[in-house]
Amino acid sequence: MDREAQRRLDEVRKGRTALENNAIDELIAGRVSRREFIRYATVIGFSMPVLAVVLEACATGTTTTTSGSIKKGGRLNVGHQTPAGAMDPILTNDLGRLTIIGQCGEYLCWSDSNLHLRPVLATSWTPNSAGTEWTFKIRQGVKYNDGSTTMTVDDVVATFQRLADPTTKGNNALSNFKGVLSPSGVSKVDSQTVKFTLDSANGNFPYLVSSDNYNAIILPASYNGGWDKTFIGTGPWKLKDYVVNDHVSLDKNPSYWDPNNQPYLDGLDFKFYASEPSAILAFQAGSLDVYTQFSVANGLSLLTDANTTVIDIPSAAHRQVHLRVDKPPFNDKLVRQAMGLAIDRPTIITGLWNGKAQLANDHPLFKMYPSSDTSVAQRALDITKAKSLMAQAGKSSGVDVTLYTEQVQEIPQLAALLVSAGAQVGIRITLNITDSGTYYDKYWLDSPMGITDYGHRGVPNTFLSAPLLSTGTWNAAHFANTTYDGYYNDYVKAVDLTGQKAASGKIEQLLLDETPLVIPYNYDHLVAVKKKVAGVEATGMGHVNFRLAGITS
Amino acid sequence: MLRFLARRTALALVTLWVLSVIIFLASHALPGDVGKRILGPFADPRAVVTLDHSLGVDRPLLVQYLSWIGGFVHGDLGMSLSFHVPVSELLLRGLGNSAKLAAVAFVIVVPLSIFGGIVAALRRGRLLDRVITVGGLSATAMPEFVTSIVLILVFSVTLKVLPISVQVPADADPLTQIYHLILPSLPLVLVLFGYIARITRAGMIEALESDYTRTAVLKGLPWRTVVIRHVLRNALMPTIAVVATQTGYLIGGLVVIETMFNYQGIGQLLYTAVSQKDFPLIQAGVMTVGIVYLGATLLADISYSLLNPRIRLAGRE
Repeated sequence: MDREAQRRLDEVRKGRTALENNAIDELIAGRVSRREFIRYATVIGFSMPVLAVVLEACATGTTTTTSGSIKKGGRLNVGHQTPAGAMDPILTNDLGRLTIIGQCGEYLCWSDSNLHLRPVLATSWTPNSAGTEWTFKIRQGVKYNDGSTTMTVDDVVATFQRLADPTTKGNNALSNFKGVLSPSGVSKVDSQTVKFTLDSANGNFPYLVSSDNYNAIILPASYNGGWDKTFIGTGPWKLKDYVVNDHVSLDKNPSYWDPNNQPYLDGLDFKFYASEPSAILAFQAGSLDVYTQFSVANGLSLLTDANTTVIDIPSAAHRQVHLRVDKPPFNDKLVRQAMGLAIDRPTIITGLWNGKAQLANDHPLFKMYPSSDTSVAQRALDITKAKSLMAQAGKSSGVDVTLYTEQVQEIPQLAALLVSAGAQVGIRITLNITDSGTYYDKYWLDSPMGITDYGHRGVPNTFLSAPLLSTGTWNAAHFANTTYDGYYNDYVKAVDLTGQKAASGKIEQLLLDETPLVIPYNYDHLVAVKKKVAGVEATGMGHVNFRLAGITS
Repeated sequence: MLRFLARRTALALVTLWVLSVIIFLASHALPGDVGKRILGPFADPRAVVTLDHSLGVDRPLLVQYLSWIGGFVHGDLGMSLSFHVPVSELLLRGLGNSAKLAAVAFVIVVPLSIFGGIVAALRRGRLLDRVITVGGLSATAMPEFVTSIVLILVFSVTLKVLPISVQVPADADPLTQIYHLILPSLPLVLVLFGYIARITRAGMIEALESDYTRTAVLKGLPWRTVVIRHVLRNALMPTIAVVATQTGYLIGGLVVIETMFNYQGIGQLLYTAVSQKDFPLIQAGVMTVGIVYLGATLLADISYSLLNPRIRLAGRE
């Protein structure tokens, strides 16, 4: 670092909190990577100018992307999975609604494809030193897409009080806010500031009010249902026409608050598809310009199509294989470890995903999370060791187990591969594959072995709590380990990245040893875009941002 | 004739009532909790309980049935639990779309297959007969999703002569709408052609071999007159019954074709309703399909009785 850079950095550090200065120290010392620093700095609320000065001072190079020359006007035909229910931000739990609601609505902050938080309706945020209070500065002068109503701090307070309230009808945000935020914890400080006083410390709280939370678009304080009639929100698009189960057409919102980022397009026409193959055929036939998510299982041809750009976002989404620890045959951890060692992950990733997935290590700490401890050794195929573990467990003659799962995308093929893997070490697996509803209603939480589909999260808190804590509501493995529970609490309470990483390392080691879950891979989020279209931004969560998208000239 | 009609209508009403009980019990026998289906498997249990209560699905079954059937007979089909819109709005759109697709398919397949059956019967045992019967049977045996994909790949993706997008703007002219419906109706034509043509052929052969045809020929009537006046009138009666019974399939049973062509008909709507445990939508949807089916059967019975008075007379005995 040269003298001038050091001087500017010192200037910046004067106004920083202890937490922020600690993060800068970690970057300079090389204990966190540049990427990890950006991501963490955005969580604890570094403003963009400050972040730029710090990064410039410690710079080793920058990257930029261009999206070609986009002409103004025109509309895009977008293929999208059919929303699973009423178009209401509070009820939303699926990609079908998330992506649509995210066009017209906006969040306090945006979690991008690199898991960085960008300010949107909040301009900055800061925690107290314990991580129990988070203060958000709210953007001023923002209008809703009805063209007349102005967004206020009262709207932000009302939105989160509603989402933290167990009596709100059909409130799908409760699983995020349970034990974290109560309605009384949301308060207005002044006309520009909101304070969240948490039920317990949470170092990743900004993600819960970001685009990572399906339900957290800011709505008027007076909102009382009926979103599908208005599509009210502060986003760059407004409702033109909506037919349930069929399509939604959106027009550019002329009163969008950001003068520097007005949409190029006149509008978007979303066509809903219940079947992925039919959407892919429509995309190939030229009826669609964009298809918002496809799987390799159905869309292999798109990966090599000369007229298609595939946006490939590594995501934390994964298939979670639970091994029930309180019943035979997986009540012996040696048998569980043997199952983990019998899986040839690189081959599965190549065969099922054509390489569009990342190796996972039987714990839900996705490698792209800055808080993950990537120094923990990757579990790899080792049949000899697996057989030895089975012998040690007194199971040389093998064990029998039924694997329950759902008929979704490549999951049945993964199940078949697990059957082959298990057979090599004496774990004889019988498959019971049902529709998703039956699986989740009957088998998910009461089966010796199962495969469950987990979507992306910008931070691992949910993955680490609900399926793994002794009190976890999605604990299909029936894993109850007080040491783990303690490590989890350490992780959640840590506001600094060093503390989070330390807890992560212990969690990863413990889960590898105990193996209540086998997680072979994290799969990428794939979006298909015609070559003539540029500027489409996608995230692992499933958001597709068309604000700066358009047709190239 | 009026007595015949009254008796058939009364029977249809009883059938509908039995159907209402069966579909109500069957839909409630579907596994899982409604609130959980709507909010997803990962929803907080408190949210599920609150939603179940607000939807009224935690009431006793008898109370729910009486509430639903009472509304149904008064024309109130209730609100969709999943989509929060009136069921009637969803059903009318789905029914309208299915009717359009069925109409286009009918207009193509009925004359084509009857003509094919007549030609096959008149050329019985010859090459043309074998081509029609074996070809028709092969087409019928092919699963709809296979024929749908092949047709899409050939006509939409490769040749680009027919649009894959079935939904056209509501204000599009009828010709444009029909143009968009040709491709999804082709798999239906393939499924039904062999079946209807074989029934027509069998009826024709039976009529051609009957005494009254022999008498008509012997009394010196031209062959064309014999076929049109005497053979066809009798030969088409089984065909009418078959065509009528296919109406229910064409209106409510096209889930595969509707899914492949992303067509928002009543079949796909019902499939979605079942997967979501959307009771009001399932029940009203099945009842609607039942009414259409019974209506078509009643029309077939009337046509049949007009063509063959013995049917009416038999009913009096």
